[in-house]
Amino acid sequence: MTCTCNDNNESIFLPHVADIIDAQMITSTEKHFKLKLQSGERFDYEPGQIVEAGLFGYGEVPLGLASSPTNGESFDLVVRVLGKVTKALGDLNAGDTMTIRGPLGNGFPVDEFKGEDVLIVAGGIGLCPVRSMIEYILHHRADFGKFTLFFGAKTPHDLLFEEDLEAWRCDSCMHYMDTVDTPDAAWKGNVGVITTLFEKTTEITPATKVIICGPPIMYKFVIRELDMIGVPRSNIFVDLERRMKCGVGKCGHCQINDKYVCMDGPVFRYSEIETLEEAI
Amino acid sequence: MKSYFLSDQNLSAFVEGLMSKYPVIAPVAKRSRFVFDKLVDVSELRLDYDTTILPPKKVFFPAKQDLIHFNKDGFTSAIDPQEQVLLGAHPHDIKGIAMSDIFYSDREYDNNYMANRKATIIIGSSVQNHYKHAFFGTMNADRGLTGHDAFMTKIEGGYAVDAVTEKGESLVALGAFEDATEAQVAAATEVNRKAEEDCPEKLNGTAAEIREKVRNSFDSPVWDEFAEKCFSCGSCNIVCCTCYCFDVQDEWNVDGASGSRFRLWDACLTTEFSEVTSPGGSENFREDRGERYRHRFMRKAAYLNEQLGGPACTGCGRCSGACTADIANPATVINKILEQ
Amino acid sequence: MAKVKCAWFDFASCEGCQIELTNYGEPFVELLEHVEPVEFREAMSEKTTEPIDVAFIEGSFTREADRRRLEEIRERAGVVVAYGACAASGGVNALKNHTDDYAEEVYGEDAKRPHLDSQKALPISAAIKVDYEIPGCPMDKAEFIRVVEQLVHGTSKVYIPSYPVCVECKRRETVCRYDDGDHCLGPISLAGCGAPCPADGIPCEACRGMVANPNEAAMELVLKENGNLPERWAKDKSRMFTANHRGDA
Repeated sequence: MTCTCNDNNESIFLPHVADIIDAQMITSTEKHFKLKLQSGERFDYEPGQIVEAGLFGYGEVPLGLASSPTNGESFDLVVRVLGKVTKALGDLNAGDTMTIRGPLGNGFPVDEFKGEDVLIVAGGIGLCPVRSMIEYILHHRADFGKFTLFFGAKTPHDLLFEEDLEAWRCDSCMHYMDTVDTPDAAWKGNVGVITTLFEKTTEITPATKVIICGPPIMYKFVIRELDMIGVPRSNIFVDLERRMKCGVGKCGHCQINDKYVCMDGPVFRYSEIETLEEAI
Repeated sequence: MKSYFLSDQNLSAFVEGLMSKYPVIAPVAKRSRFVFDKLVDVSELRLDYDTTILPPKKVFFPAKQDLIHFNKDGFTSAIDPQEQVLLGAHPHDIKGIAMSDIFYSDREYDNNYMANRKATIIIGSSVQNHYKHAFFGTMNADRGLTGHDAFMTKIEGGYAVDAVTEKGESLVALGAFEDATEAQVAAATEVNRKAEEDCPEKLNGTAAEIREKVRNSFDSPVWDEFAEKCFSCGSCNIVCCTCYCFDVQDEWNVDGASGSRFRLWDACLTTEFSEVTSPGGSENFREDRGERYRHRFMRKAAYLNEQLGGPACTGCGRCSGACTADIANPATVINKILEQ
Repeated sequence: MAKVKCAWFDFASCEGCQIELTNYGEPFVELLEHVEPVEFREAMSEKTTEPIDVAFIEGSFTREADRRRLEEIRERAGVVVAYGACAASGGVNALKNHTDDYAEEVYGEDAKRPHLDSQKALPISAAIKVDYEIPGCPMDKAEFIRVVEQLVHGTSKVYIPSYPVCVECKRRETVCRYDDGDHCLGPISLAGCGAPCPADGIPCEACRGMVANPNEAAMELVLKENGNLPERWAKDKSRMFTANHRGDA
C-alpha cells in the first residue's frame, strides 16, 4: 500500500502503513502485534503515548503503545478483539499490514520519574499501555528507585504477557505482585481485587510516583488507598481510555470537560483532573 | 474597507455575474423553511429568509465528508477544495463560522475543513426577518464580525455593501455598484443595530457570568428536570452552527475492493457518542440522558467559552426550533441557571 | 475468492423485502459477483438442503410449528441474518400482540382451524441464534448490500447506528414533520435508513424499531401536543412496527 497525498493539502487523517512482523494471541481475546513502519523510518514515541491503528474498510481504534521506544526498531500493540475494527485487526497475521496514525497525545513524564520510587498499578488490559513504561524502566533500571508493579486480572486466563510476568516475578530489579478476582484450581497466588495488594507490601511511601491504568471502576479505589498512604495527588498519573474517532482533538468523543484525552492525555496528572467531572 | 450601494434592480444581475464565475450557495426556500443550496436560478434567492435548517458550515464541511479513498493498492486524501461563493450568511452565522474556523485550525490543522473554507468567498447579508427563536442580539453581540469578504445590508431601495477583503472588493466589478453615501452607510448601521435589538428572545448575563454560573451548576437538578422530556435525538447538535463533533466510518464500494473513510456530523446527545466497547458490551461515560443534556450546555457555555472568550453559541435559535420536546432553548435554560 | 453461498427463507411476512432486493437492479447484480444464491423464492425455483454460508431470513416467528424449520436452517447455515422488520422485531405482525382475540377478529368461526394457528409475533431471535439483524420495512437495500459486503470481507461485526432518525433527517436537512404541522415517531425510531420518508413528507413510523431507552412518555406528549393526535392514537401510535419494543410489551 502506498499513500499518494497532496502536499499542499496535507491531511491529518492519512496514516502510515506498518508491516506486521509477528502476531500472537496471548489470551482468548487479546492479540499481540509486533510492527515496523513500511517506510523503514523509525517510529519514535514516548512511553504512554497512543496510536490510531486501523484497517481500510473497517476503521481505526485508539491503542496504547505496548512496548518501550528503547526496544529497537519495532513497536508493540495489543488488540482486544471486541468490535468491528478490532475483530478485523485480530484476523491479521505476520506479513499483513495495518495502518498507524501517531504517536498521539502525551505519555508519562519520564524525566520526572527518574531517581524516584515507582509504583505501577495495572488492571486487566490496562497492562498493555503501561508496559511501555515498565520496559522503559527496566531498560534504564539505574535511573529509577524502587520499582513495584501491581497487576490484577479477572481470572488466571486473563493474565497477559505470561512470559513477561514470569520474568518479572523472578526479577530482583523489581517487585512484582499480582492478583486475580476469581482463581482456578491451579492458581496459587493472591486472590481479590487489586487494592488488596496494598496490604501486602510496605514499599509504597508518600514519595512514590504512581501510574494507574485499568478499567474505569479501578481508579477511585486505588486512589483511596494512595490517599491513605499519603501519596500526594500530584504524584499520581492516570492513563485514561475513551472512544476516539480522530485522535487529533477534533471529533469530540474523548472529551472530558475542556480536555481531549487524545491530545492532553491519555496520561494525566491526577491533581490536574481530580476536579473535572466525568474524568474518573 | 469600502462601502458601496447596489440598487434592488441591479441585485439579480450581480448575483448572475457571481453565478457565471462561481458556484453560488445561498438561502432558498424548502417547504415551510429555508436552506443554503446551490443557486440554479437567481429567482430562487431569498435574502429575506429568517434562518436555514442547517447552518452554513455545511458548505465547507458537509454532513458526510469523505476523508480518504482507498483501494487494494493504496489510499489517497479526499481533500479537493473548489472555489465557491457563500452568499447571504447572517452576521451571527458568520460568527459561527469564525468559531468553527478556530476549532478546526487550533492545535492540529484540519485541512479537510480548512481547505474548503479557504476556497469559499463569504458574502454576508443583514437579517431582514427574525427566526422566532433568535436571540443573537444578546449572545456574543459584542464579538467582532470576521472571516467574511463582503457584507450586504438591506436598506431603502437596495443594499449597502461593505467590501471587507480584496476578494470582496474584486466582486464589485461583477455588478453595477455605486459608492455609498454617508446616509446609506448610517442607514445600514442602524438596520443591523435594530436587527439585534428586535430579536424575539433575550439572554441575560455576560460571557463571564454565563461561564461561571453554568460551570458551577454541574450538580444542579435543573439538567434532569429539562432532560425528562429529552429524546437524546441529537437534533440540537446537528443543527448547531458551532457543533463540530463527528464520527468516522469506513465503507466498501459494491466492488468489494475499494471504498472510502468518511466522517459524519455526530451528536453528543445520543447514547452511542460516549460509549466505549468493553467485554461486557459497552461502557458509557454519560449514561443518563440528563448527563448528556448537561454536557451540551457545559461545552457551549463553560468549556468552549474559555477557549473563545464567549459561549460557543451565536443565538441563531436553530436548536430551539429543532427540539420537538422544546427543551433545547439556550436562552430559557441559561436564563434559568443565571437566576439560581 | 470462492463465492459465498446464500439462501433466502421466508416466514410470516409479505416477502416484500425479497422483492425490494430484486428491485435494486445494478448493485444487486454486482453483488452476484461475490455471492451465489442457492434458494430465493421470489427470484428462482431451485431449493437446497445443502450447507449454506449465509441464510437470510425474512418474516416473524409466530407459530410454534416454525421452530423446527428455523432450527434446521440454523444447523446448516454458517451465518444467519434476520432481515426486515418482521424478522428483526416481529414488525407489523406484532400489532396483534397486546390482544388475545385477534384470531376470532380476523377469521371469525374459522379461527380454530389448525392451519390458521397464530401466536404472538416474535423476532427470529426468539427461536434461534441470529448473527445479524437488518431492520426496516422493507429493509434498506443499501444497508443490506453494505452488510453483505462486510460479510463477504469476513467481518464479524457490522455497524448499524443506534441513534434516532432525527439525526439523519437533520443531516439531510429535511423539514421536520412537526414544522409542517404533522406528527412523526422519528425521535424514538432507530436510524440507519437515511430517513427517506420524512424527506418525502411522510411521518416516520419506526419501521426499523425503537432506539435503546426510547423516551416513550415524551413521545406520547409530543404526538399529542405538537402532532395534534388524539390521546388514544398518541398512546397506540408505536404499535404499528414496534409493539415488541414498547415498555408495555
